[in-house]
Amino acid sequence: MQTDRRHVGRERISRRDFLTRSGLGFGALGLAGVCSAADGVSEGRHFAPRAKRVVHFFLNGGPSHVDTFDPKPALSRYAGQTLPGEYLRTERKTGAAFPSPFAFRRYGQSGLEISDAFGRTAGHADDIAVIRSMYAQVPNHEPSLMLMNCGNSVQARPSLGSWVWYGLGSENRNLPGFVALCPGGYPIKEAENWQAGFLPGVYQGTYVDSQHREVSQLIENIRSPHAAASDQRRQLDLLQRLNRMHLERRERNALVEARIESFELAFRMQIEAGDAFDLDQEPLEVRELYGSHVHGRQTLIARRLLERGVRFVQLWHGAGQPWDHHENIEGNLGAHAREVDQPIAALMTDLKQRGMFDDTLILWGGEFGRTPTVELDNGGKSKLGRDHNHYGFSVWLAGGGIRGGQSYGATDEFGFSAAENPVSVHDLHATILHCLGLDHERLTFRHAGRDHRLTDVSGRVLRELVG
Amino acid sequence: MRVSSTLVFWLALTATLMTGSPGLAARPEPADHWAFQPMKEVVPPWNSESADWAETEIDLFILEKLEEAELKPAPPADARTLLRRIRYGLHGLPPEAEDIEAFSADWEREGPAALERWIDRYLASPRYGEAWGRHWLDVARYADSKGYVYAREERFFIHAWVYRDWVIRALNEGMPFDRFLLLQIAADQTAPPDSPDLAAMGFLTLGRRFIGVTHDIIDDRIDVVTRGTMALTVQCARCHDHKYDPVTQRDYYALYGVFHQDRDRLVRLGAAPDERLTDASIEYRERSQKLAETMRARREEAAARLRARVADYLDAQFALEQYPEEGFDQILTENDLIPASVRRWRDYLERSAVHFDPLFAPWHALAGLEEEGFAGRAETALAALLEEKGDRLNPGVAQAFATPPRSRREAAEIYGRLFAEAEAAGPEAGGEAAAGLRGFLFDPHSPATVPDTGIVNNELFFPTAICEELWKLQGELDRWLIQDEGAAPHAVIVASGEVEPDPRIFERGDPSRLGPATPRSFPAFLSDVRAKPFTAGKERREMAEAIVDPENPLTARVIVNRVWQRHFGVGLVRTASDFGLRSAPPSHPDLLDWLARKLIEDGWDLKALHRSILRSALYRQASAGNPAAEEKDPGNRWLGRHPVRRLGFEELRDSLLFVTGELEFKLGGRPEEVFGPENRRRSVYGLVDRQFLPGVFRTFDFANPDEHVARRFETTAPQQALFLLNHRFTADRAAVLGASGVVQTEDRETRDWVRALYGRVLQRAPTPEEEDAARDFLAAAPEEGTEEAPDPWVYGVGRYDEDEDRVSGFEALPYFNGESWQGGPEWPDPAWGWARLTAAGGHPGNDRDHAVIRRWIAPEDGVVEVRGVVRGEGEPGDGVRAFVVSSREGLLASAAVHRSEAPLEAVGVVLRAGDTLDFVTDCGEILNSDEFSWSPVVTMLESERRWKAREDFGAGTARSRLGARAQLAQVLLLSNEFVFLD
Repeated sequence: MQTDRRHVGRERISRRDFLTRSGLGFGALGLAGVCSAADGVSEGRHFAPRAKRVVHFFLNGGPSHVDTFDPKPALSRYAGQTLPGEYLRTERKTGAAFPSPFAFRRYGQSGLEISDAFGRTAGHADDIAVIRSMYAQVPNHEPSLMLMNCGNSVQARPSLGSWVWYGLGSENRNLPGFVALCPGGYPIKEAENWQAGFLPGVYQGTYVDSQHREVSQLIENIRSPHAAASDQRRQLDLLQRLNRMHLERRERNALVEARIESFELAFRMQIEAGDAFDLDQEPLEVRELYGSHVHGRQTLIARRLLERGVRFVQLWHGAGQPWDHHENIEGNLGAHAREVDQPIAALMTDLKQRGMFDDTLILWGGEFGRTPTVELDNGGKSKLGRDHNHYGFSVWLAGGGIRGGQSYGATDEFGFSAAENPVSVHDLHATILHCLGLDHERLTFRHAGRDHRLTDVSGRVLRELVG
Repeated sequence: MRVSSTLVFWLALTATLMTGSPGLAARPEPADHWAFQPMKEVVPPWNSESADWAETEIDLFILEKLEEAELKPAPPADARTLLRRIRYGLHGLPPEAEDIEAFSADWEREGPAALERWIDRYLASPRYGEAWGRHWLDVARYADSKGYVYAREERFFIHAWVYRDWVIRALNEGMPFDRFLLLQIAADQTAPPDSPDLAAMGFLTLGRRFIGVTHDIIDDRIDVVTRGTMALTVQCARCHDHKYDPVTQRDYYALYGVFHQDRDRLVRLGAAPDERLTDASIEYRERSQKLAETMRARREEAAARLRARVADYLDAQFALEQYPEEGFDQILTENDLIPASVRRWRDYLERSAVHFDPLFAPWHALAGLEEEGFAGRAETALAALLEEKGDRLNPGVAQAFATPPRSRREAAEIYGRLFAEAEAAGPEAGGEAAAGLRGFLFDPHSPATVPDTGIVNNELFFPTAICEELWKLQGELDRWLIQDEGAAPHAVIVASGEVEPDPRIFERGDPSRLGPATPRSFPAFLSDVRAKPFTAGKERREMAEAIVDPENPLTARVIVNRVWQRHFGVGLVRTASDFGLRSAPPSHPDLLDWLARKLIEDGWDLKALHRSILRSALYRQASAGNPAAEEKDPGNRWLGRHPVRRLGFEELRDSLLFVTGELEFKLGGRPEEVFGPENRRRSVYGLVDRQFLPGVFRTFDFANPDEHVARRFETTAPQQALFLLNHRFTADRAAVLGASGVVQTEDRETRDWVRALYGRVLQRAPTPEEEDAARDFLAAAPEEGTEEAPDPWVYGVGRYDEDEDRVSGFEALPYFNGESWQGGPEWPDPAWGWARLTAAGGHPGNDRDHAVIRRWIAPEDGVVEVRGVVRGEGEPGDGVRAFVVSSREGLLASAAVHRSEAPLEAVGVVLRAGDTLDFVTDCGEILNSDEFSWSPVVTMLESERRWKAREDFGAGTARSRLGARAQLAQVLLLSNEFVFLD
């Protein structure tokens, strides 16, 4: 087990015990937070963090890298022809080389190449670090979603957001530390995508259908259908009076006392939690910056949540798998990209204006990429789309701790598989945790006989990306 | 630093708690590890000075350790505390107040004899099996649904509740624990064919379905068996030898092989099928016939395709890496080679290579040859084969290979041609040679067939579209069994399928990297229990027998520890499902062994185990009143007092229903939504949908149903408080208590009511101080049915009349769901349409007569100011129209918005008390995407009182508002005394 002995001694376990038993507030304290309380280490993380929070644009379905962030001019040379070499196995049959219908341009001082599909986001090119050599394990959505979110394609394991929340705690006790927003329903694999796995249930991501705007969608039972606030205040006053009498009859017990506190906290939450979702409080120019589409709204909600101390916000594109562009990539990918391009660019601008950009880590990506070859139907005809491709794809990072304006790694000449500096999902996770000041080998939880980590037994921090 | 003082206090506390926690320094050798040693024969230590405290042998072991720590036991708990502890401990419910009186009297009169009688009484009640059954369901990772299934199979299990009921019944009937385990692992081989005990096998078959991937399903089964029964983390050895424990990868695959032979099978339980031809039975029969017929036809078609492409399947053996393992799914058509069949060919050929095969001997002679110079090598190899064993070859094969093929592909094609010709000749033609070839093709074990099993086990042999077709038919049948109340209960058992060769190790857990074979056997380090490999055909049964073998050093200790953990919060071994080398040693090793041996001597009688624990002086200790132990042993490792614990999720819900007298005691049956409006049954019968587990389960630390759970978390989170404060379930219970008994508000009656309330909820009388508090609360409450400050907001629909500039036809919306006012629980409502108002905005009704109206009724005379911004949100359609209308002056402001916003303001509006201001929104010309936001603010200039639509929004004067007594009752249900057990 690759754990740091200095931190796995008795005290660490006591903290764990503490966390699994108390969970006061919305997991207000993380593992590291508790460490700091006892060790007196500044900020309590394993080392100095750059980022305090994460926003993850999850383009579920598998966004094509060769149409967005990984230009492949060679495809034009082979347009309509079979690519040389053997095709790798994917889910469906593909045929000839399929050059991107989107033009790539160089942006910013760095000259990072980005396609027109993300023309607005490209305005922040100098802040973006594209990893062009990601790879996953299989060309199927379900296991790949699990791998990208939970680091394990098979077993029920805690998600990245749950680990981060567990590791750092939340800065706002009135809101959950990990929120997954998705308009119109669940992505496939449903709530497994933000599961707490073997961590205490409190660390599970809270799902919000961003088509709704009520705080009651965010936090269950946040409003009472049967009591006015004044009624509840009187009830709580009596409750606390009775609980004090109960306490006087016994010896000190942390759980009993924590429960007293939890009712006051709940009462305050009812009043304060609604603000985060109230976009009416935003000035018109900010709302216009993000756009009125549901993605503009949910991205703006994300900023309001991050601003209030939520640790991890995941923004799913939509129910099912909208980015699964098996056909008509030009029309379909173009339309989906238009929906998120403006909000992503807006968020980056907005975070910069608020001074939050440098400590907010932005992650953009899906569960895998797509083939550079065109997908065929059963009759062997072109569908003008692309099949799943886990051998090579792109994600990008920006903000907290990331050195932007660069690409890392590369796929082969055509974009079929990661060729140069391949990056596994564990490497990506290790890097994200690193930006947050967490050592992926030391962020562990004892379960079923061993200390588990998000990165299992591998993972390498991509130091080249970390500023 | 964001740490409150309370938290700092906890940190200090938990740091000291660690005195009794696992030390990681010394790492014992496997052979010396206590848990793998035989259980010691122990004599209880009679040498204690204070042995007169002891009631049972258990107490002697406890005393010994307490004295070593220089501690004394706590004083005994009072009768009420004790009976509450016992009833919760055995039934998960509080006692009735009358029972406490009766028990107190018995206790005073008879002492320990009374205690035993009450324990026996509780152990004999079916409530015992319900409570302890649920504990076992945590071990068994029980759920009613399968986890993520994509759109393939039906997502609910048919048999989950039947297993749950079997567990409850087995525990209630006092089934010996060894038999209890044996049936759960091998009822197919240890119970009669139609026995209701077949239901026990749900233990194996209720895990997640992992979208049908066999390796993962088996991994889950290995885990639930090894961790659940022996606290061994065998799962850790899937990819490599266990890092700490002596479990090897070989051990893992030895068990993998046991499960891999199994096929899941649905069996009807109990009485012979009802032969009456009801509509239901006809429907069921038709559905199952349709499935069977389709399956038969699809299997035949698939087999025909396999027979037609023998050459391709043989050729594929040289490119196995192109046929990915399960879990790497490709969309397959009828034209594709089926990877599962390629692998079945691989396995067949591997087996046939071991001995002489009259059909494939030439293949084996040729398959290993290099492609380069193949022709020459083939000639030599075949010549040797023909000379040596030519007469034993199938004559057709011998003849065909008389001319050596020039390539591997050609060899494959020779077989393809031979099989095709033999089949084409017809069933009788072609003599011995053709008959031999046909015999292979049509043998049920041949790789040229599709296994004759349910779709659950043979789905991989079909092209994707056919697989989906068959799952759909299976789903229609399954749903029928799930939904039809009259359908007979069914079990899903595992039964041995065809005998397979010894399992191969998957290198690094990767099924495409086959390592050495290993016989099916029990973990090698437990060779004292069972050394030799399992007998073919009886593997699972023998594995189960080895688990419950009295010589097994783990099983008895593990269950004793689980029971102990339940009664005392922490087990003698803290890690109840990990007895491996990294676990902490037991706090009382001798006691653990003594209890484990006694369990076996008592015939694995769990009720006897409870009895001996509950009779002890240890169990009777108070939770407080031992300051020395508090001080020296804050973690309570030496048990110098009884631990305080919080009620679990099921106990809390059941208690809420119990104290109102609503809890229904019906045993068994299909699951119901746990907070369904009509569900008054015990929580153990609630639906556990592992894929969409309601948040309240997680909030209250329910066992994660995806995996075996050793011990539940015990977190304190404000979501728990929110549920108890705001969820309808608690409010309804409070309303029942509030309405109980006398209704008058006379002093005397109030006192009687409060006393009755305390009796029901807390099984005791209130103290004078508590009576005062209750009286204060009731006296200060607004009178029943009235408001302290009447809510000025009303929510309804009506029409804005443009000719009159007035609102007409106002009607209040009848339904509030906690978030919005609308027509009914469904939205849109059949009668009220899309009309809805929320805190932030809403949606107009379907036409201009059904504009939504947020009405503000002036509580006093004065001049008001109105502010707000209306915004039309939807893209399609024509947006909405908004009006502010005074009942006194008519229209004050208006706007039409479509993907835009407009301020709606009015100043100097003169109103008399009772006048209304209406905030009206209608759908414009077209009803399409008319969602809007608008939450106005009304300010009374003189008094500076302000009403904000958003913040004031709520139930208002809704009928559901609780009265004062109900509110008081709710407070008791929320109290710490109600949820903490001493």
